[in-house]
Amino acid sequence: MADENKWKPPGEEEEEEEELDETAYKSAKDAVLFVIEVSESMLTAPPPVDAKKQERDTPTSAALKCAYALMQQRIISNPNDMMGVLLYGTEQSKFQEEEQARGTLAYPHCYLLTDLDIPAAEDVKALRSLVEDEEESKKLLVPSKDRVSMANVLFCANQIFTTKAPNFNSRRLFIVTDHDDPHEKDKALKSSAAVRAKDLYDLGVIIELFPISRPNHEFDRSKFYDDIIYNARPMDPEAPAPISGTTAPTSTSDGISLLHSLLSSINSKAVARRALFSSVPFEIGPGFKISVKGYIIFKRQEPKRSCYVWLEGEKPQIAAGVTTQMADDTARTVEKVEIKKAYKFGGEQITFTPEEVSVLRHFGDPGIRIIGFKPQSMLPVWANLKQSTFIYPSEDDYVGSTRVFSALQQKLLKDKKIAVAWFVARKNASPVVAAIIPGAEKLDENGAQITPPGMWLCPLPFADDIRQNPETTLIRAPDTLIDSMRVVVQQLQLPKAVYDPHKYPNPALQWHYRILQAMALEEDLPEKPEDKTIPKYKQIDKRAGSYIIDWGHELHRRYEEWRKENESSAVLGKRPTPGGKDEIAVRGAKKTKTGEGDGTPEIDDAQMKKAFEKQSVGKMTIPQLRTWLQSKGMPVSGKKAQLVERVEGHFEQK
Amino acid sequence: MATVPMPANPKVELMLMDSAISAIVIAIQMITKHCKKLKWKRRIVLVTDGRGEIDADPDGVAEISKKIKEDEMELVVVGVDFDDLDYGFKEEDKDYDKATNETTLKALVEDCDGIFGTMQQAIEELGTPRLKITRPVHSFKGQLTLGNPGTYDSALCIDIERYPRVMIRKPLTASQFVQRTDLSNGHHSTQSSNTVMPDADDPGSSAAQADPNGLTSVKNARTYQVTDEDAPGGKRDVSRDDLAKGYEFGRTAVHISESDLNVVKLETQAGLEIIGFVNWSNYDRYMSMSVSCVIIAQKTNSKAIMALSSLIHALFELESYAIARLVTKTNKEPVMVLLAPSIEVDYECLLDVQLPFTEDVRSYRFPPLDKVITVSGKEIKEHRNLPDDALSKAMSDYVDRMDLSTFGKGDEGEEAEYMPMADTYSPILHRIDQAVRWRAVHANEPVPPAYEILTRYSKPPEELVAKAQRQLEKLVAAADVKKVPPKTQSRKRTRNAITPLSGLDVTALLGSNPKKVKITPENPIPEFKQALDIADGVDGIRDAAQQLAAIIKTQIKDSFGDIAYPRAVEELGVLREELMDLEEPGIYNDLIKQLKKKLLAEELGGDRREMWWEVRKNRLGLIEKKSSEVSTVDEEEAKAFLLSK
Repeated sequence: MADENKWKPPGEEEEEEEELDETAYKSAKDAVLFVIEVSESMLTAPPPVDAKKQERDTPTSAALKCAYALMQQRIISNPNDMMGVLLYGTEQSKFQEEEQARGTLAYPHCYLLTDLDIPAAEDVKALRSLVEDEEESKKLLVPSKDRVSMANVLFCANQIFTTKAPNFNSRRLFIVTDHDDPHEKDKALKSSAAVRAKDLYDLGVIIELFPISRPNHEFDRSKFYDDIIYNARPMDPEAPAPISGTTAPTSTSDGISLLHSLLSSINSKAVARRALFSSVPFEIGPGFKISVKGYIIFKRQEPKRSCYVWLEGEKPQIAAGVTTQMADDTARTVEKVEIKKAYKFGGEQITFTPEEVSVLRHFGDPGIRIIGFKPQSMLPVWANLKQSTFIYPSEDDYVGSTRVFSALQQKLLKDKKIAVAWFVARKNASPVVAAIIPGAEKLDENGAQITPPGMWLCPLPFADDIRQNPETTLIRAPDTLIDSMRVVVQQLQLPKAVYDPHKYPNPALQWHYRILQAMALEEDLPEKPEDKTIPKYKQIDKRAGSYIIDWGHELHRRYEEWRKENESSAVLGKRPTPGGKDEIAVRGAKKTKTGEGDGTPEIDDAQMKKAFEKQSVGKMTIPQLRTWLQSKGMPVSGKKAQLVERVEGHFEQK
Repeated sequence: MATVPMPANPKVELMLMDSAISAIVIAIQMITKHCKKLKWKRRIVLVTDGRGEIDADPDGVAEISKKIKEDEMELVVVGVDFDDLDYGFKEEDKDYDKATNETTLKALVEDCDGIFGTMQQAIEELGTPRLKITRPVHSFKGQLTLGNPGTYDSALCIDIERYPRVMIRKPLTASQFVQRTDLSNGHHSTQSSNTVMPDADDPGSSAAQADPNGLTSVKNARTYQVTDEDAPGGKRDVSRDDLAKGYEFGRTAVHISESDLNVVKLETQAGLEIIGFVNWSNYDRYMSMSVSCVIIAQKTNSKAIMALSSLIHALFELESYAIARLVTKTNKEPVMVLLAPSIEVDYECLLDVQLPFTEDVRSYRFPPLDKVITVSGKEIKEHRNLPDDALSKAMSDYVDRMDLSTFGKGDEGEEAEYMPMADTYSPILHRIDQAVRWRAVHANEPVPPAYEILTRYSKPPEELVAKAQRQLEKLVAAADVKKVPPKTQSRKRTRNAITPLSGLDVTALLGSNPKKVKITPENPIPEFKQALDIADGVDGIRDAAQQLAAIIKTQIKDSFGDIAYPRAVEELGVLREELMDLEEPGIYNDLIKQLKKKLLAEELGGDRREMWWEVRKNRLGLIEKKSSEVSTVDEEEAKAFLLSK
C-alpha cells in the first residue's frame, strides 16, 4: 500500500518493499478522536483579563474551533488519516449509524458529532456550522443533568477505534476538559474508568490530555487522570520518551487567549510522531556506539494528485486503481517472484539474480559512522541534496546514549563544528556521506519549542553530483556601486533578520484546497488567493525606493565608463544574440534607453499596446516579442505565431 | 565515442606491434572509414611495450600528427614500464631501443596534444571512477526583481539565468523482465543470472530475436474499481472511459470537468522576487530543502553582470542572504529560496536552495538536551541523561583530535581538507556500473569486489584513529555506555511493569481474579491480552488463543465483502505477536493452519481468497524457526504455506 511508504525517501522503492519488518501488519496511519466535555463550566467563557478585544470563547467552543482547524489542516497534510469528534456530558445522545452499531451498547450523554473516518466535506460543514452558527450550537450544547460515567466514555471511544480504525499504527484520543476529578465521590466509577483506560492501552490507543484550568482552580492531574494515562506508547517500540510536563495546563490568566493557547498545544500534537528509522547505531569512534532515532521534520507538502471519479452512481465516487503486472508476450499475469531485474547495456539485457543485486547494493549494515570533524565553514551552501533528517538519542539499544549524544551536540554547537559521517539508513540502502549539523533548541516568546534540540543529518553530494559552473564573463562591480547596493540591503531586512517558515504558508497548496473545499461544499469560489509570499512592494518602495534609484543611476554611470574602456577591445566578448537585450536595471531609466549592441529597438508597453490595437503585433520581430514577453514574466518559447498570440492574449485579458 | 574493435587474434596484434607507428596509421584509417565526417569523439589508444622496431621516419610521423589534428582525434599512448616523471616512475637500465621508441612516441603525442602515460598509472586509474561532465542547461531564465516594476519606478530588475549546481546522479536503473513462457521450461530454468544465447532450434519469433535472453518485459495494466454493494465482493470494475478527473477533499470526491482543471492552480508569473534579507548567523543550515542552483546574470549582458556583481558583493560584505520567491514558469507553483553570495577569484554568482513553507515543517517536540525538566517543572542540571564534566571534556578532546580539516594532502603535499566532496564517489552508482560492464563481458564469472575508492571513506582514516586512540579510550570510559542485551525481558515481566502514571495496579481492580477470562467480540484485543496476563500455564494460553481465533473466524464469516478483514488482520497480528513472545509458536501455527483450510474450503461465507491474500501481504503466516527458536517450521515450509494451495 502506498501509505505504508509515506515516510520513505523518494527513489528507493524497490529495496524498501522487501524489508517490511515484523510489525508490518500495522498500516502507518493515524486516527485522532477528539473527546470534548460539555458542562456548565465548559460552556462559561472565562472572565476578560484586561483588554476588551480579547476573544471570549467558552472552553467547549475553543475546543471545537481547534477540532475544526485541525480537520482542515489534516485534509491537506495527512489526507489518509482519520479524525472524529465525540462530545460527552450532552443532554442528547448519539452513536454510530444503526447498521454499524449492531450489538453495541448505548452510551448515554455521549454525542458522536463526527464519526471516526477520513473527513468528508459534510463533516467539515457540520463542524463549521457548530462553530459559527450560534443557533446550531445552542441546540446541541446543552449539558446533561446526570453525571456521565468516564468508563462509559472511554469504552465508547474504544468501540469507535475498534470498528472504524482497525489496524491503525497510531490511534490517539484527545481529551479536552476542565474537570480534573469527574468521580470524586464514587470510587467504583473511578476504578472502572481505570479498567477501561487499561483496555485502551492494550488496544494501542494513546490518550493525550488537554486540561483547562478554571479561574481560581488549577487543573490537578493527580486526582483522576494519572490513573488513566500511560507513559509510553503501547505496542510501539518507536515511542519517544514523553516530554516532561506533557501539556501545560491551559490557563487564561497569562494574557494569551484560551483559544490561542489550546490551538498551540493541540498543534504540537497534530501529527503523530513517527520515526523514519529507529535505534540505528551511531558510531562515534571505532567500536564506540550509541543508538539514535531519525525523524523527518522538514518535508515538502504537495497537493494530492488528481484522481479518477466515477459519476454514474448516486454520488461521485473515487475509483481505486489496481495495477496488475503482465508479461508483454502473452499478456499473462505475472507473480512478483518471477520478475527479474535486468540492466540495459548496449543493446543487450544484463541480468543479475536478486541475491546478486542485494550483494552489489550491500555496503555494510545500517548505521551512522563518524569519520571525523570539520569546521562548519567547510560546509558550503551549495552542498545540499534534499532536506536533512533530524536525529535524537534513544536508550533502546545502548543505555547512556542520551548523555553521550548531548555531550557531542554541545561540543559541536560550541565550536561551530560538524561531523562527517558514512550513513546507511536501512538494510541495503545506498550509503551516503552526510554532514552532521548540531541544532540548538529554539523557543518562541511563550517558551514553546519551535525547533527541537538535536542533530541533523544532511546528505552531501558526491563528486558525481557536482555540476560545473556555467561559463560567463566576470565584470566586478566598482566599489561605489557595491556601496549603494549595500544601503538597499540594509534597508530591507526581514523581521529579526531571520527566515521564519511559519510566516509563509504555501500559496499554491492553500489555494488548491480552498478551491476544493468551496467546490465540495458547493459554495462560491473565492476570488483572490491570499499569498503571503508576495513581497511587500509598497514597503520596499517606501523604505528603499530612493536608494534603489540612486543605485540605478550609479550603475548607469559606472557601466558607461566600463563600456567606453572595454568597447574597443571587447568586440569579441559582445556577441549579439537573438533575444538578448541589453539589461534595464531600473525601470525609471528604461525610458531613456534604447537597446544597444544587438540592434533591436526595444518596444515599450505603449508601443505594444498600439500595435495590438492596430493588429500589427505580428509585424514585430521575434527578439522584440520575446524581450517584451520576458519583461512581463511570460514564457518566451515557441514559434512566432505563439508569441504573437501570447502578446495579444495579454491585452485581451485587460 | 567510436570504439573500433581491435582484432582479437594475438597474432595480428603481434604483427601490429612490430611497428607501433603502422598500428596508429591503421587505426586512423579504421576510424576515418567508420566515422566519416560525422560528429564522433575519435580516440586512439596505443598499448605497447615499446620494444618493437619503430619506423621513425620524421616525415611520416609529422604526417600522422597532422592527420590526427585535422580530424580532431585524440591519441593516447600507454606504455609498459615507460618513464613518467609526473607520475613518478622510471625504469632503470632501460635498453637503448626502447628509450628511442619512447622518445619518438612521446614527441608524436606531444605534437598532437595527446596523452602519454605509463602502464602502471593506467592500471591504477582503472579504480578511479570517471566523472561524467554534463553541459549546463538553464533551469530558469528571467528577471531578479526587488520591488514591483509594474507599479513602482523604484523597482530593481536584473536579467538572470539559473543553472543546477548539484544534481543527484542516479545509478543505472534495472527494468523488470520475466522468462518468456515458450522458453521457460526445460534447460532454461537452470539459467540464473547471465546472458543466454538464443536457443538454436528456436524457430524465433521476432520478439525472441530482439531479445536473445529469452526474457520479455513486464507491463503494467491498470484497472479501476468502485464500491458497489450489489456486486459480489462489494467491488465492481469500471471502464476508464466512464471516469472523470477530480481531486480528493478528505474522503469526498470532487469532480472537476476537464476544462476547469486549472481552477485549483494558483495563477503565477515567472520571476525571482526578493522578499527581504537575513543574516548568515541567523540561518540554520539544516533548513535547506533541495539541490542547489547557480544564478548568474544573463551571459551576454554586461550591464546585468555588473549589476548582479554589486548585489553579490553587498550581500557578502554584510554577511547576508536574500530570501526570494521563485516561479520558474508562468503558473508554476512558487517556492521560497535562499540566495547566497559566492565569490571566487574568477567567478561570481548567487547560489540558491529551497526553503520550507509553513506546511513543510512538522512540529515535533523533544526534551532539551542540556537540562532535564521534571514533571513538577524543576530544572535539573545533573542527571544520568546529561553529560558530566568528565564526559564533556573527553568528548571535546576526542572531537578536536579527530579533526579532518588539515588531515588531507594537497597537490603539493601541503595540509588540506581530508575527504573533500570532490574525492567522494557515489558507491552505488559506480558499483552497479562496474558490475554491469563486467557481466557484459564475463557472463559466467562472479563480479569482482568494489573499487577501493568507493569504500575508502566509509571508515575514519587509520592513521587518525591511531592518533586519537587515547582520547577515545577516555571517552569510552567517561561515557560508560551499556548495550542492552536482546530479548532479556520476558513478556510477563514487561507486562507487569505497565501501570498508568499514578502507578495504580489496574489488574487488582478487576476484583475476584477469575482464572479464565471470557473474550467478547466487542473488545477482543484488550481482553485477549488480559487473559494472557492471568493465564496459568499452556492450557490457559491455548484457551485464550482459541477464543480469539473463534472470534476472528466468525468475523470473517459474517463479513460483508472485505469489510471485516482489517479487524481480522489486526487480531491475527496481535495473536501472532503475543504467542511469539510467549514462545508458543505452535499454538499460532495450528490456528492459522485451520484458518487457511477453512478459508480456502469456502467454509467461512464463500469465497474468502482475498482474506488469505491479506494474511500473505501482512506476513501473518506460520511462525518459523528464524523468528522463534522453539518453532518446528523451517523457512521453506513457511514459504510454501503462504501459497493458496
